[in-house]
Amino acid sequence: MSGHPDLPVDPGPELQADPPPLVAAIAALEKAVQGSVEFHLNACVKCGLCGETCHIYQAEPEPENLPGAKAARVMQHYRRYHTFLGKWAPKLVGARDLSAEALAELRETVYGRCTACGRCGLHCSIGLDVSAVIRAGRRVLATVGEVPDGLQRTVENQLSTGNQMAISQEELISTASWLGEDLKMEMGDESAQIPVDQPGRRVLYLINPREVKFFPLSLQAAAGVFHAAGESWTISSKFYDVTNYGLFSGDDESARVLTAQVMQEAADLGVGEVILSECGHGFRAFRWEGPNWMGAAYPLPMRSVLELLEEYLRDGRIKVDPGKNPDRVTLHDPCNLVRWGGVCETQRRVLKQVTTDFVEMTPNRQDNFCCGGGGGMLSMSEFANRRVNSGQAKTEQIRATGAKIIATPCHNCADQLIELSKVGKLGAEIQAVVELVYNALVLPGNE
Amino acid sequence: MEMMLLRVLCGLSAIWAIGSLLVQLYRARAGQRADFSVRRGDSFRGILHIFTRGMMPTHKESAHHHMFEFSVGLGFHVGAIVALAAVLLLVLLPRPPTGALHVLRPLFQITFLLGLVLLARRVWSTLLRSLSTPDDYLAIGASCGLLLLAMLAPAGDFARGALLLYATVLFIYVPLGKLRHMAFFFAARADLGRRLGYRGVYPPATPSTEQSDVRAS
Repeated sequence: MSGHPDLPVDPGPELQADPPPLVAAIAALEKAVQGSVEFHLNACVKCGLCGETCHIYQAEPEPENLPGAKAARVMQHYRRYHTFLGKWAPKLVGARDLSAEALAELRETVYGRCTACGRCGLHCSIGLDVSAVIRAGRRVLATVGEVPDGLQRTVENQLSTGNQMAISQEELISTASWLGEDLKMEMGDESAQIPVDQPGRRVLYLINPREVKFFPLSLQAAAGVFHAAGESWTISSKFYDVTNYGLFSGDDESARVLTAQVMQEAADLGVGEVILSECGHGFRAFRWEGPNWMGAAYPLPMRSVLELLEEYLRDGRIKVDPGKNPDRVTLHDPCNLVRWGGVCETQRRVLKQVTTDFVEMTPNRQDNFCCGGGGGMLSMSEFANRRVNSGQAKTEQIRATGAKIIATPCHNCADQLIELSKVGKLGAEIQAVVELVYNALVLPGNE
Repeated sequence: MEMMLLRVLCGLSAIWAIGSLLVQLYRARAGQRADFSVRRGDSFRGILHIFTRGMMPTHKESAHHHMFEFSVGLGFHVGAIVALAAVLLLVLLPRPPTGALHVLRPLFQITFLLGLVLLARRVWSTLLRSLSTPDDYLAIGASCGLLLLAMLAPAGDFARGALLLYATVLFIYVPLGKLRHMAFFFAARADLGRRLGYRGVYPPATPSTEQSDVRAS
């Protein structure tokens, strides 16, 4: 161990007692902080003004939940191994050795006290991207196998079966088949269907496995809209999962594999474009991070289904009657789609065309509060209480709108909002944007 | 003669500080990877936004929820930056700019007091104490020292010599401790603006300006 080339500091007796994971953690830290993260690690002035920007701190105003304090958990180890004073006068700068105890505390902080929603960074006096620092911490922990079990199991499901819920190929095909039959009846059109593994189609549609298991109406609605628009599309029975939990766990290699297998499937099917169903982190993972995990630009264009829906409306490929959605609708902005994805107005333009009473939450768009279900929180049962508590800010935002329907283009957010609606007695229904579009469709013959 | 020696020492120390900070920034930047995703916005516009409208208290909750602390911090930083500039003028100019130092004296007096307010806040606030390391107190204290000596500088050569000597030591510390945020603040903020600009998040879109991805992007 003493000859390890990546160790700038003698790791000390504690590490020598159990060298492999801790040595690996130090090496992982070096990789994780390279690049722009290092800018942010050196920029925090610990002004302590960031508390109110964080939904978790608002719900539980403990010092440990202050965004600056969460970032400091990663910074203390960065300083220990990467700064002069951290090496020679660690107490002066609060530098700390990576140890088993420190890793446990880091794990509690970066997975359990932060959804990496990034809101604090946008409102930081410095511009400190706390979420990037948190993800650097997650990368370290992923390297040494310290990802919380539920989150890690989700990643492993994706790697071994192609989807996070380990749904078999047979189940997917069967679900698509009966949903297709229902669709024929609903649309009164025998040609309506959910095509699976059809080569040469224009669009490969990636879906959230939750749509197959728990929310089939989302998939059916998308299929109905595609059919009405005369779209040439298919889903894959093998690699159809729009989610990528490697983004949450901090495991870039798994994230790369998950991205690569979907892109390979798109190439094998010979499609012209990949369309991502409504999923906040899935959009960020595939649209923005995926090419960087793979180290190359995609050969195919990729968009959110929201952008495709807007195109259908703009080009007159579908006709809608907003009167079919008369209830008050508000929109929850998924952090990874809006704050980190840049898709902000598209869903608003769509919703305004398919509903009659659309109201905004305050604050909204880039400033919207995380619902509490982001960052993989829904997979980590050990943090369930904090997750639900942290939704207080969101619950009050929704209550203030008086909306009966909360539209959200994200299944993780939808799961959390369903729980918040129940706990907060909001009496609101949660729907995907595509469901509202489908509901507003005016089909030929019914005009 | 002693004054010349102090000027040279302080100049060398400033070169060390600036050079070290530039090396640190360069090394961090060198670790950045190319972005292979198809851009949706404009990095430059993102940087421009984050350093202009994005800096306004109306756009930062950390500021508009804490206007007093924000204003104190802002004032303190203005004073510290001007004091550093005054030190550099003392080093570079053949004759001390005594007129300018006199004019700036009220600024240094006020911002020195603001620094003491920040220090007191850090000492008394339970939240800030839990967050702080000795370096955090040292950084504010050291900057207050600079402001105090800058305030006294018009008094004569002895006071100016003390300021130069103090600044010589301070410049050695700058790239090693918390004060390096004077460079990393710009780097971090620019980095965030660049990434958000690239993705079309910044500047915030209006309903008519957000660009959708081009179909064949």
